[in-house]
Amino acid sequence: MKKYRMLLKAAIKKQKGSIIGIFLLMFILAVCLFSALTLYISGVNSVESEMHRLGFGDFTIWVSGQPEGLETELESVPDVDHVLSQPLIFVDYEINGSYSDNEGQLLTYDGAVPYRFLAADGEEQPIPEIMPGTVYISPALSSSFDVQVGDTIQFELSRSSNGTKNLTVAGYFADAFMGSSMIDMKSFLIHESDWAEMQDMISQAANVDVLGRTGAMYHIFQRMDSGLSDLDFHRQIHESTDISLYTEFSYGQDSILSYMLLLQNILSGFFIVFSGILLVICLIIIGHSLSVVVEQEKQDMAVLKAMGLSGSGLRGLYLTLYGGTVLAGLLFGLAPVLGVAGLLAKAMVSSTGLLVRVSFPTGMILLILLGILLLFALFLFVQTRKILEIAPMQTIRETDGGKKVISALQKRFLVLDIALREIRSGKRKYIAICMISAFLALFLSVIGRMGTWLGPNGEGLMNTFSVADHDLGVQPFNESVPMDEIERIINWYSTIQETYELAMQSVTVNGQEYTANVLNDTKWFHVLSGEVCDGDSILITDTVANEMGLTIGDTVRVAANGRMETYTVSGTYQCANGMGTNIGMSLTGYSKIGNITGYIWCYHYILENGPMRDYAFVYLQEHYRGIDVHTNSWSGLSGIVFVMHALIAVIYLVAALFILVSVALTASNLLQTETGKMAIYKSMGLSSGRLRISFALRFLVVVIIGTGIGICLSAFFADPVIGRIFRMFGIGEFHSGFSILGMVLPMVTIPLLFFGFALAFSAKLKRISIVKLISENED
Amino acid sequence: MKKTMISGKGITKSFGENTVLHGIDVEIYAGDFTVIMGSSGSGKSTLLYALSGMDRLNGGQIHYREKDITNASEKELTRLRSEDFGFVFQRTHLISNLTLYENIRMAGLIGALSDKETITRADALITRMNLDGAKDRLPSQASGGEAQRAAVARAAINKPSILFADEPTGALNKANSEEVLNLFSALHSEGQSVLLVTHDKEAALRGNRVLYLEDGEIIGELNLPVYAGKDKAREEKLSTWLEGLGW
Repeated sequence: MKKYRMLLKAAIKKQKGSIIGIFLLMFILAVCLFSALTLYISGVNSVESEMHRLGFGDFTIWVSGQPEGLETELESVPDVDHVLSQPLIFVDYEINGSYSDNEGQLLTYDGAVPYRFLAADGEEQPIPEIMPGTVYISPALSSSFDVQVGDTIQFELSRSSNGTKNLTVAGYFADAFMGSSMIDMKSFLIHESDWAEMQDMISQAANVDVLGRTGAMYHIFQRMDSGLSDLDFHRQIHESTDISLYTEFSYGQDSILSYMLLLQNILSGFFIVFSGILLVICLIIIGHSLSVVVEQEKQDMAVLKAMGLSGSGLRGLYLTLYGGTVLAGLLFGLAPVLGVAGLLAKAMVSSTGLLVRVSFPTGMILLILLGILLLFALFLFVQTRKILEIAPMQTIRETDGGKKVISALQKRFLVLDIALREIRSGKRKYIAICMISAFLALFLSVIGRMGTWLGPNGEGLMNTFSVADHDLGVQPFNESVPMDEIERIINWYSTIQETYELAMQSVTVNGQEYTANVLNDTKWFHVLSGEVCDGDSILITDTVANEMGLTIGDTVRVAANGRMETYTVSGTYQCANGMGTNIGMSLTGYSKIGNITGYIWCYHYILENGPMRDYAFVYLQEHYRGIDVHTNSWSGLSGIVFVMHALIAVIYLVAALFILVSVALTASNLLQTETGKMAIYKSMGLSSGRLRISFALRFLVVVIIGTGIGICLSAFFADPVIGRIFRMFGIGEFHSGFSILGMVLPMVTIPLLFFGFALAFSAKLKRISIVKLISENED
Repeated sequence: MKKTMISGKGITKSFGENTVLHGIDVEIYAGDFTVIMGSSGSGKSTLLYALSGMDRLNGGQIHYREKDITNASEKELTRLRSEDFGFVFQRTHLISNLTLYENIRMAGLIGALSDKETITRADALITRMNLDGAKDRLPSQASGGEAQRAAVARAAINKPSILFADEPTGALNKANSEEVLNLFSALHSEGQSVLLVTHDKEAALRGNRVLYLEDGEIIGELNLPVYAGKDKAREEKLSTWLEGLGW
């Protein structure tokens, strides 16, 4: 045993560079993987428990008005266990000169619903005493309106001169549904006296002037012994009650969870996939490192074997050394996980609207840790089999034969020629580097393509979440709105190229409630498959198709306002709004069941000079009442775009760190085996600088090939892979074309990083004296 | 009057606590075949590497053609190695993945020669070193003698001012040693300056000037006529001189 301890000590001393490198790789892998898992699991647990704590039911339905007896009616539905209600006021608001393009919902805080209060950074605060004249908001609003504590929010309850109520922002609270940046409607917690005053303002306003309206949230709980699916339970509620008459919108618990967790699921998902890539790279590097070490130590191992040490004993030594390093890296990597996940959770507060309470998912992490350890143990066991094959005397007599390569040697390209010759004669040594760069390029290209699709202002998300492309939308709410004048103003900012009208109406499809997106010109729908709809057909999203088991050609019953018609499914279309729970209809089609008069239509404009939309938007908001103006965006989008761009930056940073450690390991292994050769070149008059460039060029050449492979693979697989991930979030289709971020950036940065780091690590060539190198080689 | 090519003054070299060269003063003349002899551990290889600028000194100065190269920059030393100095080591130290021919050419390409000149000279050296049949072999496929002859050719391709050789026959058998020493003698007869380190009397006989090193100090110097084939009187002179030094 003592002899092995001695040998282990000597091996650690000799291979400390490799050991430190492998430790660092495993450390980074563990931090990435386990932080992402912790964030994901904590996010689900956190939002779920918060929803339960706040009394969200299996279904939550938002209704307008305060219909009498509706709660009792709901409670009498056979599969309903109980119903909780929260009264609210729907109202438009203005913050710091910006109008919200969506209503807010006002709630009173009386302690019955135990909301959590937060500081701006997401840290939980003690429950404050809400004072009259103050309001508590979601942290998500701070990213969309740049609102801070002390700012004033104007709630427009009626058009009369005293129809506006100003409240001062006193702090933030966690909203387990509307807190998310994915939801445009935001909740506001106010004092009971303000609530009463605002309710009075609504009731006393003349019908033509009233802007705000009362409503309620009904949290409906399904009986534990109910055997109904979510869909059937929802249908039962609608068929057994009059709730459809009042419903603004409704969401099941799963939908709410999807909304709340959308961003962190995308983040965690990409980090988990990234960690998978890192895991593969770790295996490649460890495999490479181990084979180089076995090659280097072969002579010593042969001598030890000749002295009577068994092959399995030597194998055990290396298994202990490398296995121990892997284990140590993973365990040390667990230490900062809570801190990193906590930091990420805090960074996302302005997008998620609540602070994910990070807790260590011990069971899950232990299970994954065990799996990874088993994988590495198996891998190391296979990799160390070469030790058993070392025949003592044959190995002792062996000399480095080198490999004959036929290639040109030209004075002008000597440095490159030497590099190419080394690559060609030692192909096996460079395959690992090539594979690492291919994997990294593939992943970074995928991430880059996603970034390009996303666009600098979130255009990708805008287009997938909107029914149809547009620069500006204006919805008039009464006849006094001068639409001709408004269009002249828009034209003044930029020529209107095209215009069409959209109405978003609540309908039921085979009894299930959905939003119908009705267009007067159906060419604007983003049709994915099949045909665009007409008077007898509808379009459905992938989400609806999956939820209801529908395919093109099926017939469905669509109902609204008590009228029902049968339509054929003509195709699928892209609209992730409401996580894809919507259908597309033509004006002719909808007119069969719905009322197409009234102020349901929003005029969508495509401008010749798109960026001018922002100026037109501000002007119209400031100068016209009775309209809703919006761009193809939503207030929380900027926060989401920021987080997504930060994700791309972090992944690039981690990749750079990984490249650094990978190069450190492979370069030090190569340099160690080639010290003699380097010394000879130096003695022949090749300067350290040219030797270093030649050394780094090997990495550059191999990595350019690897990166090229990775980019080619991404051209074939990126879109389907991202599309598959996005489909889980209601985004039915993903297409990315040529992009700088997805193709040029990885193609340039990865080889340059490898080249730069290799050049830096070869600096020791300059410091070591030739005599020492040569005498080491002669030993 | 001989012209000094390299001069060393007060050369001191230590490895940790162990001082190997104790303030040696020495001059190497152009056109000479200088041999440094001494027993194992006397510091002869260290002196060769010090004089060639391959190793940094702890004290003293080295001048090459009257220019101080003691603290020459990496760039200056690189130029010297690629154009003015040629090295032959005890082990051949050929690049393992280059053929013998490519090893010779490589030195030319690193030096000041053009592609064309390199090929012409390499071809000539291959023939001269009797390596025609082995030129396309890798060092591992060549015999010890062939590899060392290729190493000599590699050192000579740039027509250096001086050839430094550290025990070039130390790893060879008698026949191969003879062959390699003949090459050195032939090159010297053409005017090539040579500085050779050896503890082999046969190798030392090729020189026209022999320095004897003991415990880091030069304790003797013997001048001989230029080698012109085996000569008993010359052998006896060297043997007597060496015996006098306690060899």
